[in-house]
Amino acid sequence: MITKNKSHYEHLKTKWINKHKKLQKKLWNKHKDVLSFLSDSSKQLALGSVGGLMLLTSPVAANISSQQIVNTQSLAQNVDKSVFLISDLSHVLPDKVRPLTFSEEDVLVQTLTRHFGIRITPELQDKRLNRSYGYIGAEQHLARFPGDNMYAHFDNSYDSQKYWPSGMAPGLGGWGYFAKSQLEFSEKDKMREKYYIAVQTFLSEGFNNRVKEYMDFYKYRKMLLVNPNNGKAIVTDIADSGPAEWTGKHLGGSPEVMNYLERFDGAQKGPVLYFFIDDPDDKIPLGPINVQ
Amino acid sequence: MIKFLWDRLMYNNNMKKTFYSHFIEIDAIIIELERMELSEDEKKHLIGIIHSNLHQAILDTILSELSKEDKKIFLVNLSLDNHIKIWEHLKNKIENVEKKVENTAEKLKMEFHKDINWVRKK
Repeated sequence: MITKNKSHYEHLKTKWINKHKKLQKKLWNKHKDVLSFLSDSSKQLALGSVGGLMLLTSPVAANISSQQIVNTQSLAQNVDKSVFLISDLSHVLPDKVRPLTFSEEDVLVQTLTRHFGIRITPELQDKRLNRSYGYIGAEQHLARFPGDNMYAHFDNSYDSQKYWPSGMAPGLGGWGYFAKSQLEFSEKDKMREKYYIAVQTFLSEGFNNRVKEYMDFYKYRKMLLVNPNNGKAIVTDIADSGPAEWTGKHLGGSPEVMNYLERFDGAQKGPVLYFFIDDPDDKIPLGPINVQ
Repeated sequence: MIKFLWDRLMYNNNMKKTFYSHFIEIDAIIIELERMELSEDEKKHLIGIIHSNLHQAILDTILSELSKEDKKIFLVNLSLDNHIKIWEHLKNKIENVEKKVENTAEKLKMEFHKDINWVRKK
């Protein structure tokens, strides 16, 4: 019985995904004329309805703006997986950016676990943040070891050009330097700073009573961040606390995290989903992660 | 029966409203999927795929009836999720727009029913 029902699901899933691909291709072919317009405008538009725009994600728009000849079929294939993620998320996320209910979190966790193939949870070791859906703001680079500076911070001129303007924070991260010295500075330390986030650890329930326990738990704790507007997701680590409640933002991302997710600070700020990754063996690498 | 109605209510409460949700629904398809004894996850996934398909088809129906400039206006209204503005604009530009959207949805829904019936007979 289980096998039969499983095959029913698989059959319908395959058939309806193929149907979706055909509809998508048809849509692309017929209405390419407005795509350039939307790709140029996507960063200025306040994307309140992700479900409504589920085709026209930023990665796709970027593909169109950067290519002279559009291969519709490959675009449709590239869009497919993130479109389903965006669509799945849009059906559950509230219209307003607010703390999620347990029921909403439950569906979202199942959705994200299914799409990315990693264990995700809003609560780990009986600890949870104050929320899992909120506005992300921009953070600066953090000093990774004593003597680290902007000149030593990047591996290549492209990164330097792109990320230099963010500057370096005047203070250290929540747990100080990532390495005791430049000599001891490892690839792992580099990735931790590159893909770090700051979260409101101090707003966790129980934090004030067990500060050391909570700080130890949060130190470099991996979290999956997802931009529900474009389906982009990234494995990050917690390396700082913040932002303050009065900022109206709920977490902060390193320049590299913000750039990848295509999130901006200020008037254009937007929300992300953020959940713990249950990775006791430290197997999941930091950085961008694709829908499976 | 009571469990089914509760599940459907819970599912609908978690779903975001689209600009056509007030007259396009897939309750009958959900009932059919309920009868297949799929897991909650599988049901939700298939329902999500159905919604995605409907959305694509409805967008195509609407965009096909609009001029280039009106397409842009429609997409901007859509991105702002302003349902009132969306319909004000569409009713002004497309004759019997709601009927056309409904026809597109009904045609696609019939295909989904057909697929479910075929699978259940296997």
